Amino acid sequence: MDLNITVNGEPWALDVAPADVLLDVLREQAAVKSPKIGCERGDCGSCTIIMDSRTVRSCLVLAIEADGHEITTVEGLSFDGLSQLQNLFLANNSFQCGFCAPGIVLAATELLERTPNPSRHDVQEALAGNLCRCTGYEPIIEAVLAAGDGGAS
Amino acid sequence: MTTTYPFEAESPSEDLTTVGTPAVRIDGIDKISGAAQFVDDIDFGPGLLYAAVVESPHAYARILSIDTTEAEAADGVVRIATGKDFPYKFGMYMEDRYIFAQDYVRFVGEQVAAVIARSHREAVRAAKLVKVEYEVLAPLLDPKAAVADGADLIHPELGNYTHVPWFFPEADTNIAHWRKIRKGDTEKAFSEADFVLEDTYHVPRYAHCAIEPHVTVSRLDHAGRLTVWTASQSPHTQRHLFAEALAPLGFTHKDVRVITPYVGGGFGGKAGVSMEIIGAAMATLVKGRPIKLRWTREQEFYNTYQRQGVVAELKVGVMNDGTITAVEHKLYWDAGAYVEYGANVVNAAGLSATGPYRVPNITNDSLCVYTNLPPGGPYRGFGYSEFHFGLESHMDRIAEAIGMDAVEFRKKNAIVEGDELAYGAHMNPSGMLEAIEKTADAINWGVEEQSDNPNTVIGKGMALFWKAPAMPPNASSASFLKFNEDGSINITVSGMELGQGYLTVMAQIASEVLAVPVDKIRVETPDTDRNPYEWQTVASHVTWSSGLAVEKAAVEARSKIFDVIHQVYGFEDDSLYLEDEAVKCKTDPTFSKPLSDFVIEGIQTDDGTWRGGPIIASGKFMPEFTNANSDPATGQGGHPNVHYTVGATGVVLEVDKQTGRIWVRKAALAVDAGRAINPDLVKGQITGGLVQGLATVLFEDMRFDEGGKMMNPTFTDYKIPTAFDIPDEIIPIIVEVPQPDGPFGARGVGEHTMIAAAPVIGNAVYNALGVRITSMPITQEKVAMSYLAKITFESNQEE
Amino acid sequence: MVISHEFDYRRPSSLDEAIGALAEFPGSARILAGGTDLVAWLRDDAVAPDLVVDIKNVPGLGDIVLDGTTLSIGSLVTFTDLIESEVIEEHAPLLSEMAETVASTGIRNRATMVGNICSAVPSCDAGPVLLAYDTTVHLAGPGGERLVDINDWFIGLRETAMTEDEVVTRVTIELRSHGGVYVKLMRYAGEDLAQAAVGIVAYPDLDYRVAFGAVAPTPFRSTRIENALRGSVLDEALVAEAVELVDGEISPITDMRASAEYRARMTEVMLDRGLWAAVGRLSGTGPDYGERVI
Repeated sequence: MDLNITVNGEPWALDVAPADVLLDVLREQAAVKSPKIGCERGDCGSCTIIMDSRTVRSCLVLAIEADGHEITTVEGLSFDGLSQLQNLFLANNSFQCGFCAPGIVLAATELLERTPNPSRHDVQEALAGNLCRCTGYEPIIEAVLAAGDGGAS
Repeated sequence: MTTTYPFEAESPSEDLTTVGTPAVRIDGIDKISGAAQFVDDIDFGPGLLYAAVVESPHAYARILSIDTTEAEAADGVVRIATGKDFPYKFGMYMEDRYIFAQDYVRFVGEQVAAVIARSHREAVRAAKLVKVEYEVLAPLLDPKAAVADGADLIHPELGNYTHVPWFFPEADTNIAHWRKIRKGDTEKAFSEADFVLEDTYHVPRYAHCAIEPHVTVSRLDHAGRLTVWTASQSPHTQRHLFAEALAPLGFTHKDVRVITPYVGGGFGGKAGVSMEIIGAAMATLVKGRPIKLRWTREQEFYNTYQRQGVVAELKVGVMNDGTITAVEHKLYWDAGAYVEYGANVVNAAGLSATGPYRVPNITNDSLCVYTNLPPGGPYRGFGYSEFHFGLESHMDRIAEAIGMDAVEFRKKNAIVEGDELAYGAHMNPSGMLEAIEKTADAINWGVEEQSDNPNTVIGKGMALFWKAPAMPPNASSASFLKFNEDGSINITVSGMELGQGYLTVMAQIASEVLAVPVDKIRVETPDTDRNPYEWQTVASHVTWSSGLAVEKAAVEARSKIFDVIHQVYGFEDDSLYLEDEAVKCKTDPTFSKPLSDFVIEGIQTDDGTWRGGPIIASGKFMPEFTNANSDPATGQGGHPNVHYTVGATGVVLEVDKQTGRIWVRKAALAVDAGRAINPDLVKGQITGGLVQGLATVLFEDMRFDEGGKMMNPTFTDYKIPTAFDIPDEIIPIIVEVPQPDGPFGARGVGEHTMIAAAPVIGNAVYNALGVRITSMPITQEKVAMSYLAKITFESNQEE
Repeated sequence: MVISHEFDYRRPSSLDEAIGALAEFPGSARILAGGTDLVAWLRDDAVAPDLVVDIKNVPGLGDIVLDGTTLSIGSLVTFTDLIESEVIEEHAPLLSEMAETVASTGIRNRATMVGNICSAVPSCDAGPVLLAYDTTVHLAGPGGERLVDINDWFIGLRETAMTEDEVVTRVTIELRSHGGVYVKLMRYAGEDLAQAAVGIVAYPDLDYRVAFGAVAPTPFRSTRIENALRGSVLDEALVAEAVELVDGEISPITDMRASAEYRARMTEVMLDRGLWAAVGRLSGTGPDYGERVI
């Protein structure tokens, strides 16, 4: 079937089977690698992408469902330079192995767009669907909170 | 008597510029921009083939037949392999494993065959068409059953297996290794003790749950060279095991290349070799084409290493003044179907199962028992978390019984520098007493806190930890170092960046010696063709071992730099120093020669000729004071462990009496890092390790059915913490009592931070509710029902 | 793992087209809305449809509207839509409280409340809450519109009153002033399926609705407990009486997630704390919606 999607501002015309999953199509045919394969059940969040301004678990979306939609991944966010949030993650040494990082960056980006000054609870809620085994979350939460109060901390 | 350290690391001046600072990770930008490449992210072009495995549904069975005819005829299938194609044994410390099951399957999920096809979908479909017939046998699912008289032998050939000389299998049993410590006279000591406490603790199996699943791409090129891209903690050890396993096909080490990019979490699960051998072997069947084998999350749970379960029988004797006089610790390890790596966990625990205490009379037995469950293997803590649960729970109970404060009891008995260890060697310098005091302070130990909520109670707990790296006595690290035209540096090592910050720490060490800023130092991920040897990135040893190798390489580079300057300008070496990327001279303050001027090109002299050229260096480190000579009957006489890292953990928790829900309000953890080369990264290990440790005691709950099948191989039902499931406050405390032979005094901390989490919760729950739980996990349900049973019992007593 | 089963996919742009597609594949078509259940089932080989009908382009299914006392929630309304809706926040915050307990943001941005009661797993979060409200399910099929009272919706284990040729278009709730609570037992604070659940609505005229989830093959209302409570002001004796009845009403199982005993014991605790919270919220003195009572 014909699949027309925009990925980080770039249009792609692809041919997919109905049973092809969006995560696999993005990684294998649309030149993005930041959404990761972690569990393929929507439990770990490492496949997170932004579809039309909302985070979704791309392992639970059939590729063909994305026809006509806009997809943003961390590669797109980073294209014109790092966001303030990304710089805070960097300065705070928030990530360790980095496998969960793209999903978390997107989830935190979505949060800050909707709630510019989130509380600790808001941050935990926004990130609760992204599993991280390395960090214990604390340095990640700190950076998002710092991004929230305008980076004042 | 103290241990002498034959290699004294470069003694730091206290004016350190990089070491000791929270430098920004050099791989940080890769990871937050999406640039970081993991194995599954590498493109191999349209020629990439995919493999899918056929797994045993039985925990123990004889393979009667494998029929691949229908599968071979399926769309897209290129090749199918079974055990007959690779009848070779291999293993890390003992050769008891196969590439594919041979004649018998020994755990549910064990690979029996594999299909290579042109697409992932076709491989998965074809794998379902392979027909295997089994004669199902009764599995042994717990270690006590497996050591009982008359139990079926899971490995009847155990007596013939090749193994390292410091393992002691019992032929014609299911005991693959038995580490014994016999010191003093425990029988006499128990009879003379004022108080003796005996009990059994149960710790189940656990899963690593790195977010990146195991994945491997293997290719045998047309020249016969095998390259394997893996998410591995151990590229050189993997190459060694691949070469060993495939030796019958004519491979030696030069024919095998292992490349490892970033790894998305290891925690021990990506050490040694587990599923990667399947990919490496399959590649030999399809010359010229790369083959990808990627584990699903379910396979990640049941067909990679698991943390062994253990039944711990513990007996401790003390005097009324609190002195520990005797420890008898018997550990029955549920080690799984193959113990080639896991047997060393059993060994390591056996050597140190007294815990961080001074104990004159010891009878420890650590038994590695075969069971029909997934292979046990290395997991962060390497046996220490498993036995600390019982040990540190036990110590609290004893303190209470003799009327002594639990912290005072521990301080009285804590092992200190010079004390004799269980196997005869001596304890290294360590800040245990400082760690205990600072942790106790941080949680306001001794001050009872009241809850505002009528449904909840507040409790506090403390527990100590220690661990030494569990390695063969000749585990080594090496490093190459080179400069570039702009004065930047490339360092090649084969330690792995698993997330712990290893690359950054190596850069900081080199930066300190060579006065080049950290962000001008690249540390390259391993390629066994180009990067020099590293045993494995395990055991929390690479900061120490690889750090020494990098430090030596940097020192060598520095001396070569000074040599060139001396040659051209005449300054004596000891008058030169490095600062701000330049060579400077103490006796001539006007002299400043930027490194970028000459580290490739050399220096031109007055007569127009040049001196110097590319500055390159190397360093290696292998401890020369360790040996595995311990007596099989007593464990005495060897020096198996390089040194211990120690620390303490304390928690304040709030528990809902009705629901059993636990909130960890405050968790403090002090670890003696010797020297925190990067305090941020040490804090990262404290926070991450603590949360992982708390997860094992509060949430993770692995279940097997009566057939030995894992019932919850998903994150839906095997719960690892989310951002909501962490302590309200974590207080990281870094203690620094230098390790004399460590780089700038550093020793490892990566595993240690999770070790005391389980007993500290057990102790705090007891403090809050008066309920002592001696099995893990201590879930909401277990707490609620135990407390309910207690108050029901008490109210029945009253009636 | 990939989805190894092959199927056709259609994305109709009208309700009639959707119904027509279902009719072409009787018994072997599946409706796709959020997909967070269906795509996982496809991967697990738990379902093997010949046709997947994606209804996300069908107009008119995504609205939240309050018309007088009737709250209408379209079948494409996601859990995130419920959480962000001002109408819900003002008139039925219980729905938002329930929605916040479902999985995580990335799931809630896709998963629909109607999909939740169509999948009808015993622990479906929307079940107890919609049962505690006066809810009607609206379906469209070849014969036109059909209404099903929520009390007739869950007919068996993962079985609903919907037939294979129908599409749910919306649910409606008859609202009046109330206090409510959704109490969900989870294994930890992060995302989890309900291990036991209680949905309660308390009305000012001393009418109570009590529904349970994850403690029987389907979510269900306990009219017995409701009758014991009805007409009385809540006090400790009354709550104890209601709690006493729980054991006879529920039939929890022991599985790898929890034991029957723990589920039963917790359901009692949840009913107790839940009743106080619901009645407290009615009078404006209870905990904020979203604050967990267990």
